[in-house]
Amino acid sequence: MKIETAAHSDYTVISIAGEIDMYSSPELRDTLLALVKKKAATVIVNLKDVKYIDSSGIATFVEALKKMLAYKGKFKMAQVPDRVMEIFNFSKLDKVFNIYGSIEDAANS
Amino acid sequence: MNNPIVITIPSHPKYLSVVRAAALLAAEISGLGTTEAEDIKHAVDEACSNVIKYAYKCDCTRKITVKFDDTQNSFQVTIEDSGSKAKLEDIKIRELDEVKPGGLGIHFIKKAFNAVVFDKKKRNGNRLLLTRYKNTDEAVISKQK
Repeated sequence: MKIETAAHSDYTVISIAGEIDMYSSPELRDTLLALVKKKAATVIVNLKDVKYIDSSGIATFVEALKKMLAYKGKFKMAQVPDRVMEIFNFSKLDKVFNIYGSIEDAANS
Repeated sequence: MNNPIVITIPSHPKYLSVVRAAALLAAEISGLGTTEAEDIKHAVDEACSNVIKYAYKCDCTRKITVKFDDTQNSFQVTIEDSGSKAKLEDIKIRELDEVKPGGLGIHFIKKAFNAVVFDKKKRNGNRLLLTRYKNTDEAVISKQK
């Protein structure tokens, strides 16, 4: 898994590529919780190049979402691949996460 | 699949990708469709993650053996470890409607497989038996039980 962070004036984009599993999710958690610690106003997670996500990856996103909501931060997802979306749907998290077709849509919402 | 495929990995999360690749290919060779094979890959990954977390308590120096086998009517996966005895009811699980971190792994395992049981005959460690029926009618009936 690779993670790239791009800071913009109003939001931060976290772009993830590869597989999110029990091995890689701690690194993702560190990245997201570092932003939570800084009380980032808006985080957009770009999932376009994610090939796989397991329950530990989902747990990481749920944890980040809950921590950001606690200080009224915005946690958004963009460009979710079909297979990952199927997993979100099954987990009923499609109704919990704010999901957008593009980073631009997420940034402008 | 004429013969079972057996792989043994160290109980370190970095080897889960090996199990996923093997699970996907074994399911495809067994004749399952793309979605079913992806579900099986995911379920086997979650089951092996549970072995690392619950049976081995994150000790990465142990072994996990995964066997893939099939019959005309079913695809079977057997996951063995030598860790602490596990019970399905002891494994962290949450309702899908609850929004909190963790507890989803069992849902993914039960989504992919029609039967999920621990072999009570195994005296030391655990042997998890996972069965996916190929016949849709049989699979639906099994899911409704």
